[in-house]
Amino acid sequence: MAPTLTDLIVVGAGPAGANAAITACAHGVDVHLFDEAPKAGGQVWRAPVDDLPEGNTPEAHEGSALRDCLAVSGVTVHNGQRVWSTLIKSDGEFQVDSLGPEGPMTVQAPRLVAATGAYERIVPFKGWTLPGVMGLAAATVLLKSHGVVPGERPVIAGAGPLLLAVAAGMLDAGVKPLAIIDLDSRVDWLMRLPALLTRPNLAARGAGWVARVRKAGVPILHRHAVRAVDGHDQMTRVTVSPVDASGAFIEGNDKHFDADALVVGHGLTPGGDIPRLLGARMQHDALRGGYVPQMDVFGRTSINGLFAIGDGAGIRGVDAAVTAGQACGLVVAHEADRLDTIRFEREVAPLRKACNRQNRFSDAIGGAMALRSGQVASVPKSAIVCRCEDVTRGEIEAAGDAGASDVNQLKHFTRTGMGPCQGRMCGEVAASLLAQHLGVERHAVGSFTARPPLRPVAMGELTGSFSYDDIPIPEPAPL
Amino acid sequence: MTGKRKITDHRVSVTITVDDVPLSVPRGEPLATALWCEGHLCLRHSPNAGAPRGAFCFMGVCQECSIEVDGHLVQTCLTPAQEGMTVRLKGAP
Amino acid sequence: MSHVHDLAVIGGGLHGATVALFAARGGMDVALLERGALCREASGVNAGTLTMQMTRVVLIPYALEGHRMWANAPDWLGHDVGVRVCDGLSLAFTETEEALLSKRAALRREAGAPIDLIGAKKAKEIEPGLGEGVRLAGHCAVDGYANAYLTGLAYRKALLEAGVTLYENRAATGLVSEHPGFTVSTATEPLKARRIVLAGGVWLEAMLVWLGVKLPIKTLINQLAVTERLAPVMRTVVGIASGLLSLKQFPHGTVVVGGGWQALGDRETGTGTLIPDRVIGNARLAIHAIPALAKARLVRAWTGFEAETADAMPIAGPVPGIDDAFVCGSIHSGYTSGPYIAKLLADQILGLQPAMPLFPMDRLLVSQSQTVGNAA
Repeated sequence: MAPTLTDLIVVGAGPAGANAAITACAHGVDVHLFDEAPKAGGQVWRAPVDDLPEGNTPEAHEGSALRDCLAVSGVTVHNGQRVWSTLIKSDGEFQVDSLGPEGPMTVQAPRLVAATGAYERIVPFKGWTLPGVMGLAAATVLLKSHGVVPGERPVIAGAGPLLLAVAAGMLDAGVKPLAIIDLDSRVDWLMRLPALLTRPNLAARGAGWVARVRKAGVPILHRHAVRAVDGHDQMTRVTVSPVDASGAFIEGNDKHFDADALVVGHGLTPGGDIPRLLGARMQHDALRGGYVPQMDVFGRTSINGLFAIGDGAGIRGVDAAVTAGQACGLVVAHEADRLDTIRFEREVAPLRKACNRQNRFSDAIGGAMALRSGQVASVPKSAIVCRCEDVTRGEIEAAGDAGASDVNQLKHFTRTGMGPCQGRMCGEVAASLLAQHLGVERHAVGSFTARPPLRPVAMGELTGSFSYDDIPIPEPAPL
Repeated sequence: MTGKRKITDHRVSVTITVDDVPLSVPRGEPLATALWCEGHLCLRHSPNAGAPRGAFCFMGVCQECSIEVDGHLVQTCLTPAQEGMTVRLKGAP
Repeated sequence: MSHVHDLAVIGGGLHGATVALFAARGGMDVALLERGALCREASGVNAGTLTMQMTRVVLIPYALEGHRMWANAPDWLGHDVGVRVCDGLSLAFTETEEALLSKRAALRREAGAPIDLIGAKKAKEIEPGLGEGVRLAGHCAVDGYANAYLTGLAYRKALLEAGVTLYENRAATGLVSEHPGFTVSTATEPLKARRIVLAGGVWLEAMLVWLGVKLPIKTLINQLAVTERLAPVMRTVVGIASGLLSLKQFPHGTVVVGGGWQALGDRETGTGTLIPDRVIGNARLAIHAIPALAKARLVRAWTGFEAETADAMPIAGPVPGIDDAFVCGSIHSGYTSGPYIAKLLADQILGLQPAMPLFPMDRLLVSQSQTVGNAA
């Protein structure tokens, strides 16, 4: 089947990708936008599932506005399409292959924007694989998209601003969390305050959450972390301990909660699979959550025509994603000769300023969610790190002792990252554990090589129905 | 019941079966969420250790909620509930 | 830098590692240089098939010995590479394939491979997972597979136990013949050895240039893919007559889909780019052979670089005109026969008589006049 030709392919319809698509399209660029979800919005502006009303939060309104805007933008939107392959053709054009309700699709363009967002990072502890434990971002999905509170007696734990956002969301829905367990101290947050105040509207929202949580009397345990979760077929108890600034446990002041759910998250990891797969130069940036493409302010990567924007190009938050998306859309229009230099400069100037304003805020939030060395060091030897393959910290370190000096060798030795999540859940932590054990810098152990399919795909869906004669079997090897 | 549906909605109910037991859930609710709300937190056991596992990321990344629906493994957090679906609390072997 | 090794092997794949292992066990002081980690290229990423039914006829006797070695890996290697011996089936779905299979199976049988031709009913008894449309099948009880990604771990332990000096993450950057002996330059210190073995897989061509020898090596870039863990769908190694499919289910449940469908890429950058249409083509063949795979999810696809000489036959033996220099590589479907051919070369280096003939490279050398102005 001949590929559909277009000017620009955008993968990911969150705040960054959708805005890039809309902006480029507004300047006459023909755009195809792909997203795995049934509706645009990404994680932060995720739409409610079918037949549920839109929520009444700023995110819900912004998401809804984005979807309205996209609907009239002229962008060709492919929702529910799972992009499984991206490649650079010999003429330098990008080819994107996807599967979904529209069947298999192949689209080709001289420019590709990767705006695939981030996924959650959880530093393992005893019992974190028990049913009833879920990610912090997972809880936001349940709250804003599925209309569900994760439990009747939940505990919220981890790091970063989502702790309070989730607590406030639960309270709004009539569930009082048993406690909020924050890795950070009150002082840590006070130190971040000046940076947070550079985005007054966001700081005000945070303050609102704090007030809501205080008023409801939800205890906040600062400088604490979950030490263990216990239960048989599902969790029934959470044990928390004080920690030091590095996230390492301090012995002897454990507290227990009889909880029916634990919502826990320690930050986000950029989903940089497409740039990695295409061979863009990457670098490890702890503040931005992991490996990110080397790029300029407009998201241009080391590969001509390939852009990376939004949290998938390094964790910066939603405002920065919107700005990056708009700026990227302008650059694409400019490069494609749809926007002259004078107008481009005029339109991009305020975005650059906005970007500078957003940086301090992004850094402060990034700092709160970066992986902490003491926390990594506190992972028990017997704790599962790679959930798909049940590989423990002890096994990872044994592989290091047996000569595994990078994460791909670790994968060969232990199957860490070989399961269906394709290393997304364990990659950052497994790499940090290996690096700590070998006494080397994090970047020395690298990252899992990106491979297609970018998401697991059923073979029968890939092949469609066919007859044997349809298979273009190459010439046999010599005898 | 663990999860709590926070709004009284007017969604149509559909009947699915979970290990042959009929269960009424809102149409269109992702299966992983529906199962969670109905107390089925444990969806499968891990292939090596045989340890209980449940939905974890709810956004299509972790694959923990991949169980057998209508005869093959699907990510239940991405699969809306529809009338007559046959769910088995069984993942990859 | 006064130490002089008896032997330096450049290239830590299956071939280089096996030569190093047996040379060290034969009493030599051996160094092995590998620019990355052991067995992380072809030797670690191939499909692990140990079959006669994709082996070139001339190599069958070697492959039978190689198969025997793999089947007994714990005895001589000392470590597990996940080898399973099982039945192998090569299928014919069309008249053309039937003819191809009959001809090839007969020649391979003549060369010693115990292949018999069977009908669809018998094939289905051996492999209940088979789909419809099989006209004829080649059946061989000497088949099976290894878990290729474990090769590096197993060899690493074995080499260290044998006393080989292992230099991983240390690329050789040049080689000078000192008459006698050699100096291998690396990014850090140079290395001296009395003998040298070049075992660089697809990168062998560039290594031979160090010695002034021009020998074109073609790079095949094979596509492979693997499913997530599945309930059992098959119990044999399944291929088709043309050799363009290999399927097997590992004990932990994943199914590896191979067959040598070609990807894009080049050995200079070391990158391979999978071609979606060919991933799909390969998957179609797989589903046609084992229909239950239609529901299986692929979780990863990748490429592996296979080296091929002009006549698609191995080179294993001395480098002509240069005393004490040897090559080992380009063994077609070399995972099965590789350990045996490399062991034969180790025997020769140790001054023993190899049990079967080696594969001297003289036959392939381009004459001096042809090489001028023809650098690849």
